[in-house]
Amino acid sequence: MTKPSDLVQGTLDLLLLKILALEPRNGWAISQRLKQISGDVLQVSDGSLYPALHKLEQAGWITAEWKLSRNNRRAKFYSLSRLGRRHLEREAANWSRLSSAISHIVRLEEA
Amino acid sequence: MRPQHWLYTIPLRLRSLVRRRHVEWELNEELQFHLEQKIAEGIANGLSPKEARYAAMRAMDGLEVRKEEMRDMRRVRWLTDFLDDARYATRSLSRTSGLTAFVVITLALGIGMTSGTFSMVDALIFRPYPVPHAGGVLTLASTTHDSNLEDFSYREYLDIRDKTNSYDGVIANADMEAVGFSAEPLATPRVRGGMMVSGNYFHVLGVEPRLGRGFREDEDQVPGRDAVVVLGPDFWKHEFASDPGVLGKHIRLNGTEFIVIGVAPETFSGMLIFGHPDFYMPLAMARVFSTNLQKNFFEDRDDRELSVSARLKPGTTLQQARNELVVVAKDFEREYPKVNRSRGAAVYTQFEARTREDLNWKFGVIFVILALAVLLVASTNVAGLLLSRARARTREIAIRLAIGAGRFRLIRLLLTESLMLASLGGLAGIAIGYGIVEWFQSFQNVVFMTDLPLSVPFRMDTRVLLASLALSALSALLCGLAPALESTRLDLVNALKSADVDVPGRKRLWGRNVLVVAQVSASLMLLTASFLMVRGFQNTLREGTSFAKDHLLMASFDPRLVQYNRAQTQQFYKLLAERVREAPGVESEALTQNIPLGIDDFDGIAFVPEGLEMPRDRENFNSTMDTVDEGYFETMGIPILEGRGFRASDTADAPRVAVVNEQFAKHYWPGGDAVGKHIRLESRTGTLVEILGVAETIKYQGIFQKPIDFLYMPLAQNPVARMTLMLRSSGDPLELVQSVREVVRGLDPNLPMLHTMAYQDYYMNQAVNGPRIALKLVGSMGLVGLLLAIAGLYGLVAYNVSRRTREIGIRIALGAASSDVLRLVMGKGLALVGMGTVIGLAMGFLLEQLMNSMLFNAGGVDIAAYVIVVPSLFLVTMLAAYIPARRATRIAPTQALRYE
Repeated sequence: MTKPSDLVQGTLDLLLLKILALEPRNGWAISQRLKQISGDVLQVSDGSLYPALHKLEQAGWITAEWKLSRNNRRAKFYSLSRLGRRHLEREAANWSRLSSAISHIVRLEEA
Repeated sequence: MRPQHWLYTIPLRLRSLVRRRHVEWELNEELQFHLEQKIAEGIANGLSPKEARYAAMRAMDGLEVRKEEMRDMRRVRWLTDFLDDARYATRSLSRTSGLTAFVVITLALGIGMTSGTFSMVDALIFRPYPVPHAGGVLTLASTTHDSNLEDFSYREYLDIRDKTNSYDGVIANADMEAVGFSAEPLATPRVRGGMMVSGNYFHVLGVEPRLGRGFREDEDQVPGRDAVVVLGPDFWKHEFASDPGVLGKHIRLNGTEFIVIGVAPETFSGMLIFGHPDFYMPLAMARVFSTNLQKNFFEDRDDRELSVSARLKPGTTLQQARNELVVVAKDFEREYPKVNRSRGAAVYTQFEARTREDLNWKFGVIFVILALAVLLVASTNVAGLLLSRARARTREIAIRLAIGAGRFRLIRLLLTESLMLASLGGLAGIAIGYGIVEWFQSFQNVVFMTDLPLSVPFRMDTRVLLASLALSALSALLCGLAPALESTRLDLVNALKSADVDVPGRKRLWGRNVLVVAQVSASLMLLTASFLMVRGFQNTLREGTSFAKDHLLMASFDPRLVQYNRAQTQQFYKLLAERVREAPGVESEALTQNIPLGIDDFDGIAFVPEGLEMPRDRENFNSTMDTVDEGYFETMGIPILEGRGFRASDTADAPRVAVVNEQFAKHYWPGGDAVGKHIRLESRTGTLVEILGVAETIKYQGIFQKPIDFLYMPLAQNPVARMTLMLRSSGDPLELVQSVREVVRGLDPNLPMLHTMAYQDYYMNQAVNGPRIALKLVGSMGLVGLLLAIAGLYGLVAYNVSRRTREIGIRIALGAASSDVLRLVMGKGLALVGMGTVIGLAMGFLLEQLMNSMLFNAGGVDIAAYVIVVPSLFLVTMLAAYIPARRATRIAPTQALRYE
């Protein structure tokens, strides 16, 4: 079973925000996109996706809107809010700082 | 979170709350969409529809759990849960509407009585002064051996004002006094309440006049120069119909012309608890208003007539202010040893000052204690009811627990129920509280028979309302928590097997037993207290006042209202006494500065008894005094026990004389030879006064008063401006009014007669009816407490016994005689009541001690109360145990076993 805790704390949020930064998507499209861009490395179950989306929505990072999907069915589309965009920039910067520091350390140990 | 964030989140939370159903629909719809897509994908990948559906569901990791997770994300869970609970509680309460109504009424009585009585304590102690930043206003008081809240003299006030650094202004005011007011120069003056204040009074208090201006500091510096007056808001409204043109108008106060310079705002009703001054005058005009003819207000350091207050500077502590004032008082003592020996000074907060100046608050506190006892009995009743209700719901609760409800969640549900009950009870209680306050207000005219602007200050204001709500919440906890805890602590297996079962063990019964004990003890305490008050009051009335109250007419005069000087005043009273004595129907005549049991305080007097060694740290002793004429003792029927009373020969030129009461005589001359002894006024070197006689001790200030030292001075030797004429009549005293009026008109047609009435009526209103109101209140609390306790006790005991029907059936089936069974259950009930009685007696005894020390001595432990109350409680318990037990023993064992 894949649980969100398999991801580094908070990374699922970052991933979702990043995906939504390009264009508004519904939950299904997000899950497809997640699978597509991360391959098998990061597995996010359908079950944990929706609570995560709702959390982001309640926090005000993303907003939701009902629109017609490609196959003409009403679906809930999420898009990044202004606050969310700022949050994403901050978090992305944090992430690169953190990950480069960590890979630096990891490389040091190898040497 | 940051405020800009709230712009996003608040609408979301609101939406989750208000459009709950829609949000729920969206949740399902969203997941449904996902599942459909997933299934379509599965089918496209070659799965059968069933398999695809199964795979889609499995990928969700438990659909319902995820839904719950998503709902939790809304962060309004606590509230929606509460709303659910509330809806559930409403349903279950309305199903048992009779019980609900009973519970609500019971709680309403308890809460209403408490909030009604708390409004008294609030008005007498807690309500802040009606000024901005009221907490910073402190009371400065002079202290002596006998009192820690005395006034300062004008000179002392000036020194304190100039020598202290802890304050943003030090202010002074005299008492509210009767002042003769006339809007036109020729009109007969009417009595209104005026208060002299220092020039910085309004400024320091932060009171902005509604109209015009407050006093300027220089307006109270030159005695007699600035005749200016600021009107109180109510007076302006009633006397001048809120006319803004009143500014600059000339009015006459005690015959002197004053210019109206301002009107105090509506919000400022004055700094007193009961009084609302009609107008304010600067201290510099004291000559027009001062009551004391013997002293010079502006010069004499011992003419102490001013209450001093001050506003604490921000950053200065109370302790610093206290230390500073102590130093000032020490300086006074050193510089003016004659008038300031062993005199200190103290700084009080509002709470400290209020609990020292007015004794009525003690009544208030006792009432609140009693009302809380009623509330306790009421809550216990309700707890008992809820407990038995919860027992009937055992199975429901067991099922809830079995299918996974958390214990805390269930306790919350049950507490929500009792909270709803308590809220309803609280609302109804507040209505009752309003009723009680209204009831208090309706006695306004009964209690204050005076021309001064006094009013009953009790109100249901925000603080009282908040306190009532807090009480409701508290009682919800009190009566809800025990049942909730108990009914959720279940043995599931047993509870599910039988709808209603008593798990063996003492723990279960413990709760109900505690309720019985609490009920008995609280109600007993309540009854003891009300019995004590009623009996104490009756004793006091039976004791009487030691003087005759019937066939007396009273009428007061204040020649200052028509600008008499000292000699004219003297002459007026002399002629008045002579002429009314001749009037038909008048048996005897008296003049007195204060009437016994009146609303005004008697003057105090400082003296040194001749030939008595003074304690080292004392300059003099103090006593209360009255100034009377030679007819007083005879007219009032106060016996002279030794020596003689005053005679016409005790004139201003004769040697100074005085009459003391028995208490005074015994206090200073225990040998019983007071007559012929001397005292010196003020100090060892003061005026020599001979004691002529000893009068019987009477009630002076109130009928609950304990005997006090008292001294009489003859009017001729101690002139006073304001006097009351007392006439003893052969027939109806009111028939004399006309002839007195004629005599006064003959002396001066402009002089008003004040407070003209039969003394008996005045006495009844002033001294008897006031306490009677208090008694009614206590009596009704006692009665309500008793009724609630009887109902509750009966219910609890009967319920406890009926729970044992099955057990009784078994006992009878095994061969127990019904008398054994009766003995068993009744013994249990009686043991509980016995325990409650012991606790209740102990609490009642403590309360009695408290009341005796605070109010009056009704004579130790009140046996009669216990002899009536205790057996009746036992009787109720026995009945409550007997009836269900009897029924249980009568029905066939087979039926009893199937019972429930």
